[in-house]
Amino acid sequence: MADAGPRPPASGEALSDQELEEAFGADLGAGPKDAPRAATSAEEAGPNSPASEARAQEGVPSWSEFAHGWELGIYRDPVLCGVFAGVVLGVLGVFVVLRRAVFVTAAISQAAGLGVALAFLVGLWFHASVPPVLGALAVALAATALLTLRTQRMRLPSETLVGLVYLGSSAAAILVGDRIQQESQDIASILFGTAVLVRRSDLWLVGIAGATTLLALALGYRGFLFAGFDPEGARVHRLPVRLLDLMLWVLVAIEVSVATRAIGALPVFAFAVAPAMAALSLSERVRTALALAAGLGGLSGGLGYLFAFFFEFPVGASQAALSLVFLLVCLPVARLVRGNAS
Amino acid sequence: MSSDDRSPLLCSSRKLEVGYLGSAILPPIELEIRAGEFWAVIGRNGSGKTTWLKTLLGLLPPVRGSVVHERAGLRLSYLPQRKAIDELYPLLARDVVRLGLDRGWSFLRPWGGEPKEVRAALDEMGVLALADEPFRRLSEGQKQRVLFARLAVSGADVAVLDEPTSAMDQVAEHEAFTLLDELRKRRGLAIVIVSHYLGMVQRFADQALLLDRDTQTVIRGLPHEVFADERFQARFSERPPAIKTLEEEDG
Repeated sequence: MADAGPRPPASGEALSDQELEEAFGADLGAGPKDAPRAATSAEEAGPNSPASEARAQEGVPSWSEFAHGWELGIYRDPVLCGVFAGVVLGVLGVFVVLRRAVFVTAAISQAAGLGVALAFLVGLWFHASVPPVLGALAVALAATALLTLRTQRMRLPSETLVGLVYLGSSAAAILVGDRIQQESQDIASILFGTAVLVRRSDLWLVGIAGATTLLALALGYRGFLFAGFDPEGARVHRLPVRLLDLMLWVLVAIEVSVATRAIGALPVFAFAVAPAMAALSLSERVRTALALAAGLGGLSGGLGYLFAFFFEFPVGASQAALSLVFLLVCLPVARLVRGNAS
Repeated sequence: MSSDDRSPLLCSSRKLEVGYLGSAILPPIELEIRAGEFWAVIGRNGSGKTTWLKTLLGLLPPVRGSVVHERAGLRLSYLPQRKAIDELYPLLARDVVRLGLDRGWSFLRPWGGEPKEVRAALDEMGVLALADEPFRRLSEGQKQRVLFARLAVSGADVAVLDEPTSAMDQVAEHEAFTLLDELRKRRGLAIVIVSHYLGMVQRFADQALLLDRDTQTVIRGLPHEVFADERFQARFSERPPAIKTLEEEDG
């Protein structure tokens, strides 16, 4: 972004989607490169601009600079988006990790990335506007449907489908990305998460999808638990186990596809795995694990953005790395706690 | 025997053939399960016990014949083999018991506190003190008691258990059978249990079902009658066949 980043309007108003698009191009959810700090400053005008020289003399980014960007809405939306996505994916991740299906999330997020790329490609080919989140959702749901196929008749374990979806999505995304790059879009930013700026509409989508997901998980909490803990016992009690399984993966697909569009595949996968692992290592109760995972996911999303801002790192990788740091702190603590308890 | 032909009929297996992909693995099985009966399903490993059990429960489709619920709204509960229960889940003992209260779509009412039946069932099984202990940290005997408490709260008419004492020592196994027997007597439910412990079967069960896929044998009756059957004695006293090498088989 530093080499071509446009300047945001200097008004004190929060930026509209349109203003953001004008300022930063269409691919806001996954803008190229991207320490967030670059977004507010006049140095975006070019490396030799006075502001850039002033920045070079100033050294580290400041809180006032961040606060200014927050008021403009430039930092507020991506931070909130990171927090929302972290909370919801943290909660979903507990169910995913308990189902021993960590890589399902990776495969679905990869499929969602492909969907985003396909939406761009279709838009370029047909000169039509295809909402990227629609592309992400469609391909993610198709991948989910594929993952529910039964592989026993092929004498293959179900994990092979996860590998197939991951591999197919990755390869297709690179191929599609090759075409998109020819049109000056950066597919890598979509796939690996460099969310500096988030559209207001994406923030809303992440919020609505997240709230829906949390509501569904809360309503079906005991059902999801029974179906996972003892699926045969649950079926004998006439719980709709297959529907609950499908529901869980559809929720994963929806949240992952919306969040992937907004913040990228890497932090999405990280939020769905690391906070849940940390929380489950510390908790002896699913409810506690859910609360902990939500907290750690939200912190990873929010603080990860701040870390990226102050140390000028890519956002998605910072958020993912922070979630791993939390995990690495929690694992020995959990061991210590278990040692004391036993 | 604690039940007789006047006990209410709960469900029946009518010319039921069980198996996979349309192939039956056992001859047709005809039997009736009545309230208060204690059924023991016996047979060697791979004899078709679990397949029959799962078909009875509706987890597998019958190859031929049918399972008939003789009472509308018959409530079944199942304790599968321990490997089918995922101990990765961080649940307290009382959380596990609470799951037993859910049937159909009742889980969609997440509000409200813990029903009092949960603690009552834990108390009934003698593990109330473990209510707030993590399930996965309990001993095998304690876990099984907690799972019995789940059966107790389920309000089941028929409780089906697949090798519930397989990981227990002899004392714990006897305690487990005693608890199940008391549960049956108190609540009038029928129990169908798969077990390899013939001593316990003889002591507690009032009906036995021997299944043997290899010899296509199905024998049902009182335990001492089944044990006296020469087909039972032939199967349970025979030495394992010698394993031949490929060369020996070819020769």
